[in-house]
Amino acid sequence: MDKDRAREIAAAEGLTKLDEKQLAQSVASGRELAEKLPKDLHWSEEIALIFRLPTPKDTGR
Amino acid sequence: MTDLAFLGLADAAEMIRARKLSPVEYTQALLDRTAKLDARYHAYIRPTPDLALAAARQAEGEIMAGRWKGPLHGVPFALKDIIDVAGLPTTAHSKVLIDNVASTDAPVTARLKAAGGIMMGKLATHEFAIGGPSFDLPWPPAVNPWGGKHFPGGSSSGSGVALAAGMVPAALGTDTGGSVRNPASMCGITGLKPTYGRVSRRGVLPLAYSLDHVGPMTRNVRDNALLLQVLAGHDPEDPGSADVEVPNYSADLERGVKGLKIGLIRHFYAEDMQAHPDQAQAIEHAALVLRDLGAEVREIRLAPLEDYSTCVRIIIRCEAYAIHRRWLAERPGDYGDLARQRILDGAAVSSADYIDALRLRARLTKRTLEAMAPLDAALTASSMDPTCRIDDAEGCARAYPRQARQPFNATGQPAIAIPAGFTQDGLPLSLQLVGNPFQEAMIYRIAQAYERATGWTERHPPDL
Repeated sequence: MDKDRAREIAAAEGLTKLDEKQLAQSVASGRELAEKLPKDLHWSEEIALIFRLPTPKDTGR
Repeated sequence: MTDLAFLGLADAAEMIRARKLSPVEYTQALLDRTAKLDARYHAYIRPTPDLALAAARQAEGEIMAGRWKGPLHGVPFALKDIIDVAGLPTTAHSKVLIDNVASTDAPVTARLKAAGGIMMGKLATHEFAIGGPSFDLPWPPAVNPWGGKHFPGGSSSGSGVALAAGMVPAALGTDTGGSVRNPASMCGITGLKPTYGRVSRRGVLPLAYSLDHVGPMTRNVRDNALLLQVLAGHDPEDPGSADVEVPNYSADLERGVKGLKIGLIRHFYAEDMQAHPDQAQAIEHAALVLRDLGAEVREIRLAPLEDYSTCVRIIIRCEAYAIHRRWLAERPGDYGDLARQRILDGAAVSSADYIDALRLRARLTKRTLEAMAPLDAALTASSMDPTCRIDDAEGCARAYPRQARQPFNATGQPAIAIPAGFTQDGLPLSLQLVGNPFQEAMIYRIAQAYERATGWTERHPPDL
C-alpha cells in the first residue's frame, strides 16, 4: 500500500528521479505522524491563523 | 593565547573600549587559533580572514579616533552558513547551493556589522538545517571539542563548536525545532531561541517559515544578552516580525531570583521521556539552587511532550518540502541522504494533516501560555542525553528526538539552553529556561543567577 501511494506521489510531484523506497518510507512515516494528531480538534475552537491583513497600526493609517 | 581564546564578549568589549585590547591583534589571535584547530573540529565552512582583518583595522581606527559604537565594536563573530553575507556563498552546507552567492547582507548580518562586529566567516550546519551529522556532503560535519570525537548537536553545529573551542566569542544560529539549543547543550555553551518575531529572519534560508528563529550563541549569559540587544527589533519586511519595543536586556541581569515564580516541567524529562540520570539530576539540582537563591519553584504540567513533537514535526516537514520540492525533483542526488529523506517526508503528509497540525499548535500555545501566565519562567530539560560519539550513527539518531525544545518552537516562547554541569565522563549537561513571550530579559536574569551560583561556564574543553 505504501508503495502504491509512493508511486502516486512521485507521479504527481515529479519526483521520478528518487528511489521508490525513500518515498515509501516517507509515506509510512507521514501516516504514523498523522495517527498521533488529536481527533477532537473542533472547527470552531482551534482556528489556525494562517493569514492576517495589516492593521491600521501596521500601516500607520 | 588561552586568555584571548576564551575571553567573553563583554570582557573583550570593555578592554577594547579602554584601548587595552587591539581589535586587530584580537582578530589575528582568533584567526591563528582557528587555523591551528579547525582541521580537527571543522567548525567553519568558510573562514574569511582577509575580510575580518580589514574590518578589524577599520574598527581599530574608529575606536582610536574616539568613535566607539558599543559592546560589539571590534569583537569577532561568525555566522551559520544559512545566513546571507553580501558577496559570499550561502551554501546551507549543501552541494545544492554551493554557488549561491548572496547579493545583500541579511538584516541580522547588517546589524552586527553596523555595531562594529568583525565577521570571521561562515560556520558549518546540518544540511539545510535539518538533521545530521552527515558524511556525504561537500564539507565534513563539525566535531565537538568536548570529548574530541563527539557529536556537537545541530543544526547550528559549527556555531556551538567555534564557541566551545574558543575560536569566536559570539555566533549566530537558527532554531526551527531546537537547532540553537541543541548544540548549546551538547557543546557546553549558551544559546537563546528568542520569541518568534523578535529577530528578523529575512536573508536567512528558511527551513519552516512559521517556526524559524535566529538566535544568539555565546559562552555565557551576559554576552548573550549583549548580542540579542544588537539583533532584536522589528523588520517590516519579515511578515513574522513583531513590532514590539526592545528593552535593555542587561539592565536586570544582576537582580537575582528572590521572589520569582519558576515552574518546573518535570514530566517532560521524568515521565514523557526518561532523561539520562546525570541529566535529570542536573535539572533537579538546578531547581534546588534556584530555591536556595530565593525563587519559588513549583512543579507544573503541560501537554505531553509527544503532542508538541507531532505538531512541530508535521509543520517542519510540510513547510520544508514546499521550499525544496523543485530541487528534490530536479537534482535529488545533490542532497545528502539524511536531509533528502527528512525533507522528502513532507511530500507524504496530507494538506488536511498540515492544517490540523496548525490547529493543534493553536491549542497547545493557548494552554501553555495559560499555564505560564502566573509564572516568571519555567525550568526543564533541553537534551535528555549527553552527547555521543559522532561516528555512532545509531546513538546520534536515537538521541536526536530525545529533547524538550520543540514545545517552545510550537508556542514561540523564548527559551535558553545553558550549561548545567558535566557527566562523570566530563561531557556537558544542560538545562532550559523558558519565558513568557518577549520576556527574554527575565530568562536572562534567572540564567545569570544560576550561572553565577554554579560557575559551569568557567570550564573549557580539556587540552584547549
